Amino acid sequence: MPVYLQRQIDELKKQILALSAVVEENFHEAIHSLEETDVDLAQAVIRQDGRVNEMEVDLEEECLKILALHQPVAIDLRFIVSVLKINNDLERISDIAANIAQRTIGLAAFKPAHIPFALFDMAAKVEIMLKKCLDALVNMDSKLAREVCHLDDEVDTMHKDNYDLVKNQIRQYPEQLDALIEYLSVSRHLERVADLSTNIAEDVIYMIDGEIIRHTL
Amino acid sequence: MRLRFIWQILPAFFFIILLTLVLLTWLFSRALSNFYLEETSADLEARARLVATQIADLFHSDHIEQLDALSIRLGEDTATRFTFILPSGLVLADSLEQPSRMENHARRPEVVTALSGDIGHAMRYSNTVHKNMMYVAVPLMDQGTLLGVVRAALPATTIDRTLDRVYQQIIISGILVLLLSVFVGTLISRRISRPLEQMRYGAEQFARGDLSRQLRVEGVEEIASLATAMNSMAAELNEKLKTVVRQHNEQKAVLASMVEGVLAVDTSERIIRINRAAAALLGVSAEEVQGRSIQEAIRKADLQRFVSRALSTRDPVEGDIILHGNEDLYLQAHGSLLRGESGQELGALIVLNDVTRLRRLENVRRDFVANVSHELKTPITAIKGFVETLQEGAIQDPGSAVQFLDIMMRQADRLNEIIDDLLILARVEQDSDQGELPLENRQLNTVIETAIQVCANMAAEKQLTIEHYCPSGLKAYVNAPLLEQALVNLLTNAIKYSPEQGKVLIEAIHSEKDMTISVRDWGCGIDKVHLPRLFERFYRADKARSRKLGGTGLGLAIVKHIAQAHGGQVTVTSTPGHGSIFSLRIPADPEKIAEIVPGSMEQPSSLSTKED
Repeated sequence: MPVYLQRQIDELKKQILALSAVVEENFHEAIHSLEETDVDLAQAVIRQDGRVNEMEVDLEEECLKILALHQPVAIDLRFIVSVLKINNDLERISDIAANIAQRTIGLAAFKPAHIPFALFDMAAKVEIMLKKCLDALVNMDSKLAREVCHLDDEVDTMHKDNYDLVKNQIRQYPEQLDALIEYLSVSRHLERVADLSTNIAEDVIYMIDGEIIRHTL
Repeated sequence: MRLRFIWQILPAFFFIILLTLVLLTWLFSRALSNFYLEETSADLEARARLVATQIADLFHSDHIEQLDALSIRLGEDTATRFTFILPSGLVLADSLEQPSRMENHARRPEVVTALSGDIGHAMRYSNTVHKNMMYVAVPLMDQGTLLGVVRAALPATTIDRTLDRVYQQIIISGILVLLLSVFVGTLISRRISRPLEQMRYGAEQFARGDLSRQLRVEGVEEIASLATAMNSMAAELNEKLKTVVRQHNEQKAVLASMVEGVLAVDTSERIIRINRAAAALLGVSAEEVQGRSIQEAIRKADLQRFVSRALSTRDPVEGDIILHGNEDLYLQAHGSLLRGESGQELGALIVLNDVTRLRRLENVRRDFVANVSHELKTPITAIKGFVETLQEGAIQDPGSAVQFLDIMMRQADRLNEIIDDLLILARVEQDSDQGELPLENRQLNTVIETAIQVCANMAAEKQLTIEHYCPSGLKAYVNAPLLEQALVNLLTNAIKYSPEQGKVLIEAIHSEKDMTISVRDWGCGIDKVHLPRLFERFYRADKARSRKLGGTGLGLAIVKHIAQAHGGQVTVTSTPGHGSIFSLRIPADPEKIAEIVPGSMEQPSSLSTKED
């Protein structure tokens, strides 16, 4: 019986990693679409989000099945609980990727405005955070996961500063208001992705060390 | 647990010998004790008879004193207790006790027998002397009348002691024999088991892979032949193993040196094998990902999907995979099921081809065709349009006719410019292909100044200043007219995209290996997206604006080709909103040009000088 459980857990691990690959790429594509104002790509990102939603539901059902059938304990239980939570976070990240893609489509309609803040640097930072927390998940590396938690502060500060920068720009060029608002909401989306990546990192730490570090950092 | 050989043999040995010894001791001691008791009782009987014959005359209650003295003396002499008893049971004399103190002995079993005329034997506890005694009673007859009974007795302790001594000796020698047998048994089992131990050690060595060691052939016939058999087995295995290892290495080398990426997964999507090319393409280390599942090892959704598709279909599959990263990689993938000898599924084999460059070239070609037709078609359409208008009567109106002719002239000039540029491009390409480009050692300063002079008018129109820094006396092997052309192109661009009253900087720096001439402006800058394709023919970063500013769309392509003709390259760095720097790098040593030029025309060069 434990062999059977182990096989199911391996299968579950494969599923969550497959989901993470899709989500990471989707987020990357969303940023890419924004960078190049590529509406086709943005629409592909939104379509892909639908697929991620299906994967999320499948994964959750798989988790519940294992919980009900095997009533796992200790590390196995922690693993499944963490997978449930990470699954949720990944789905949210994919939703946000779809939102960013929506912004791309919105922005394509406006006259291009100069972005008052380093949007793509911020995006690159968030992408690194997402990559690191997924690497931590793959390699079960709690040290790397802890690194991600510290990176979140930088992104938060960037986001806060962006408010002022955008406000100034709006005062200067009120005609660019629509585009600037869109950029500000992209900044908020990025900040949310950073938070969700931190959540994933925290769940990875919980999975490995059994220690709940939420709200302690 | 399994018993060792010695523990199998020794207890059996021990047990058999012990059993034999116990049985023998028991039989022997019984026989011995019987024999000894019979001997003793016969002896006692003889003594009793001897005494009886001596005392027959005195045997009467009248001679009690004499009998008593005699019994004591005889008793002391022979270490035997003698008792003289009358037929009534009354004790006349005794060697150890006063007869008066003794009770009537008529009921003693040996006496009863003796009184009936036989010889009485008994072995019992004596109340008189409080010891176990052996008694022999002999009737004393005198011409048919029973005079009394003479009884001889020995304490059983004496008999027991004698027997004990014999038993002791038997047991001691038994133990000695036992020890000896254990010793001999150990020795024998050792002799049998030692070669076996050695063989076990040798076999373990074989198992560990040390097949070169030979077992010693020794010991008994069976074991020696076993050793020989094992030795030949090891030699055989060694040979086979070497073949297998060699074949394995060959296969590995073949796989590793393939240009295509090869990836093999088992049915549960674990990576069985990945070659160097695939690992490089996917950005992983081949050692690290071996044995891990594809989801774990390579986080590329497209590839993961392709692998599961290859595993789930019977027929070979084909597909395009895009690997997102800093630069997207386009892979063409072929997948087919791996089957074992008996046809069972082992997994899937994925072959990856990097078609990124092909894709990019395709894009370039497509854009080129679109752009070139657009660039050539626009002036012709305009000219044709105005000619038609003139033909339809506008020629009658001198005012508009002149205006139209002016426009037609401008368009024709433009067409001419484009064709001129294409010709320059073709010439540079042809010359550098054939290696006929004449290079001379020239002052760079002069070249730069000439270029600035050419552009002076244009700069003056925008009230721009052109600053230039060049170490005086700096010389390089260049083709002066071509380099001038390149610098003019770069300067024209810089002037075009600079704000009015700005400045353009041109400077030459030299290092040991090469010279760099860079042209810097503080204009609008170029978006990162366009940088890789900037040097393509007819590529325009901002289509609307650059046409307005004029130019053929070939300027930078010409610069690139001139740089390559000099064995160098051109690069660009730019920050949107802050201006751009174009750097033309040419090697200082003309000898090297010959080596570099042909190669550099064919190989994909660094980031900014991509194919055109």
